[in-house]
Amino acid sequence: MDNYTLVIAEKPDAAKRIALALDKREKPRKLSENGVPYYVAKHNGVEIVVVPALGHLYTIAAERKGRNHYPVFSFKWVPRYVAERKATRIRSLLQTITTLAKKAEAFVDACDFDVEGCVIGYCILKYACGAKEHKSKRMKFSTLTKRELEKAYAEALPQLDFGLIEAGLTRHEIDWLFGINLSRALTVATRKWSGKYVTLSTGRVQGPTLKFLVAREEVIRSFVPTPYWKIRAQVETDGRVFEARYVKERIENKKEAETIANSCKDKKGQIEEIAIREFKQPPPFPFDLGTLQSEAYSLFSFAPRRTLNLAQQLYLDALISYPRTDSQKLPSTIDYATILKNLGKAEQYYKLTSELLLKQTLKPNEGYNEDPAHPAIYPTGNLPQRALEPSKRKIWDLVVRRFLAVFSEPAAKQNMKVYVKINGHRFHFSGRRILAQGWMRYYEPYVKFDELLLPPTKKGQIVNVKKTLLEEVFKEPPPRYNPSSLLKDMEEARIGTKATRADIMQTLYDRRYIEGERMTVTSLGFEVFDVLEKHCPQVISTDLTRQLEEKMDRIRENKEKREDVLTDVIGILHPSLVAFKEEEKVVGEQLNDALERSKLEERIIGTCPVCKTGKLFINYSRKTGKRFVGCTSYFKGLCKTCFRLPQRGTVGSSGKNCPACGWPTVEVRMKSHPWVLCFNPECPSKTGNEKS
Amino acid sequence: MTCVICNKKSRAGMYCRSHEKACENIARSYEQWREALEISWKEYLSQIANNPLTGEWTKEVVQHLLKGGGQANVKDG
Repeated sequence: MDNYTLVIAEKPDAAKRIALALDKREKPRKLSENGVPYYVAKHNGVEIVVVPALGHLYTIAAERKGRNHYPVFSFKWVPRYVAERKATRIRSLLQTITTLAKKAEAFVDACDFDVEGCVIGYCILKYACGAKEHKSKRMKFSTLTKRELEKAYAEALPQLDFGLIEAGLTRHEIDWLFGINLSRALTVATRKWSGKYVTLSTGRVQGPTLKFLVAREEVIRSFVPTPYWKIRAQVETDGRVFEARYVKERIENKKEAETIANSCKDKKGQIEEIAIREFKQPPPFPFDLGTLQSEAYSLFSFAPRRTLNLAQQLYLDALISYPRTDSQKLPSTIDYATILKNLGKAEQYYKLTSELLLKQTLKPNEGYNEDPAHPAIYPTGNLPQRALEPSKRKIWDLVVRRFLAVFSEPAAKQNMKVYVKINGHRFHFSGRRILAQGWMRYYEPYVKFDELLLPPTKKGQIVNVKKTLLEEVFKEPPPRYNPSSLLKDMEEARIGTKATRADIMQTLYDRRYIEGERMTVTSLGFEVFDVLEKHCPQVISTDLTRQLEEKMDRIRENKEKREDVLTDVIGILHPSLVAFKEEEKVVGEQLNDALERSKLEERIIGTCPVCKTGKLFINYSRKTGKRFVGCTSYFKGLCKTCFRLPQRGTVGSSGKNCPACGWPTVEVRMKSHPWVLCFNPECPSKTGNEKS
Repeated sequence: MTCVICNKKSRAGMYCRSHEKACENIARSYEQWREALEISWKEYLSQIANNPLTGEWTKEVVQHLLKGGGQANVKDG
């Protein structure tokens, strides 16, 4: 085997798809070297070898060895197995690529066409293939379908996208400089104080993301609810009762509210006005990654990272297009009609696709966002060859139905507001209905609209007021972030990329800076943020992150040089790190206190139901070493509450209260499935107590 | 100086930054409560101490204030 074309794919599944698509008989030979599989295909009489990468095969490492010094500003690109002990498979993979490259006469980069894919392909061509980066062609595709892959190979770009590569390399280098220096500063300070090694980290995106969470948490924890009053009247018309609201939504004085409510008691109402508003709601935009992640979270409670992983798998199965996209546009070149025809082969889509295909023109309702590399996410038209795993099926169905909906008609809706005057006070009640379903029919069951039909009413009609209700309400704090709302704010602030945002969130969980699905900042999270805010405030600034993103955009357009941006970054980091070093002792003490508090927090189960002031926590007997539940007020001599716990397995807070007695519960994990235990001996759920 | 509630460092005064912020909110919100309910400072503190929507730091400051441990800059109704 000599003089072949070496095609580099980003993942093994993609390599297989590319080889299948390019081989004239669709039966490429699967070979292997050093345990690394690769494919040999025949295409137009030319031999093609398709070899996979495993994502990034190269990474950045410090020139100088050791983990306890900073600042670190000199670095180099190295194979991942050099920098990461666990990346052992990378060595044999790179050896195979190098061997195959020696006998190749042409090179094609077929990694994903985005920043990361460009860096992956560039590094392999430069370091593993022996400086072939300027001799390689570039395949550009958004789906792994045969048709598109054949086209992408036949019309491969003559060279790599060096602007995108420069921007990608800069992003990696900047993130590395921020991450390594700041994380080391935190870790070294902690270690110097306590002598213990604890990994603490922050980074260019992680810091500003933590800032969002801390700001929200501060508002919630220092919140003071303020009262206001709402008045409602139960109005009877045509034998049905509707709840009418007083036109002033919030009354901020109790006396005023009581006066109005009392004056409406036992009075008749008269319909004063009927306002009808008809409007059209256009179809939704096609999915970009962010909206797909938000939608999957609200519909299926899938965390953004899970949605991305599922979408990536569907892409590798050639069922949907490339998911890491910001685009909300669907170019006509993707051939809408063929996709619809193919989707119609599935029974559940047959009727809907047939209707769409009857339209004279197919025009999607596109959004404003564009992505130079990929269109919005769309189904390829391929149907799953075997039953999809349920969560994958949900994402695929969601993408398909969204695709169908964007070609449909607007929905027509009607809102009706009836104003009633009761003893001189104005109230209103509303109804709503659908006049034409339009796109909503195509997007079912993912769109819901509760109709509330009102009986025929006319101006001047007298209605009975059955009851007047005065309700005291309190202004609520803002909700805690969830993965979806945080992702949205990160997107709006332009921090991170579509590919990294979900991972950043996970890192915050892994470092124990946040916890729970409703993201709560831990003591450790607060202290790390406090340290960063005091000693390197620029690093957590969203402005800086945004400026750097803009600079990377300019590198991509060849308007700015990578070296200049890196020099700027070092100029920002250096003084902060020097100042940080001078305060190492203070920082170390602060972080160690936080770590201790954090450990205690993890042992807390909930508020003590006996003294109602202390917190129940998992404690260990000094005498026997056995664990039990105790109250923090014990140390103040205020509460002696304690309960036994199982001594086998692990025990932690379940985060739930017992449905029978309302006490906090613990989750016990042994070899079998975890189970929730209520440790209250008086709990009515316990058999003995039930009998008594 | 350290915070009388959590023992964290405080810049000035008796509270750390977090509890100081909560204390400021308590003082600021009293005006709204007084206008709404004609309520005294003590009654106000008891009300927010028992409200489930009250923030954790606020509750801690309220407990401290109720025990007579501190003063907020307010005019009692």
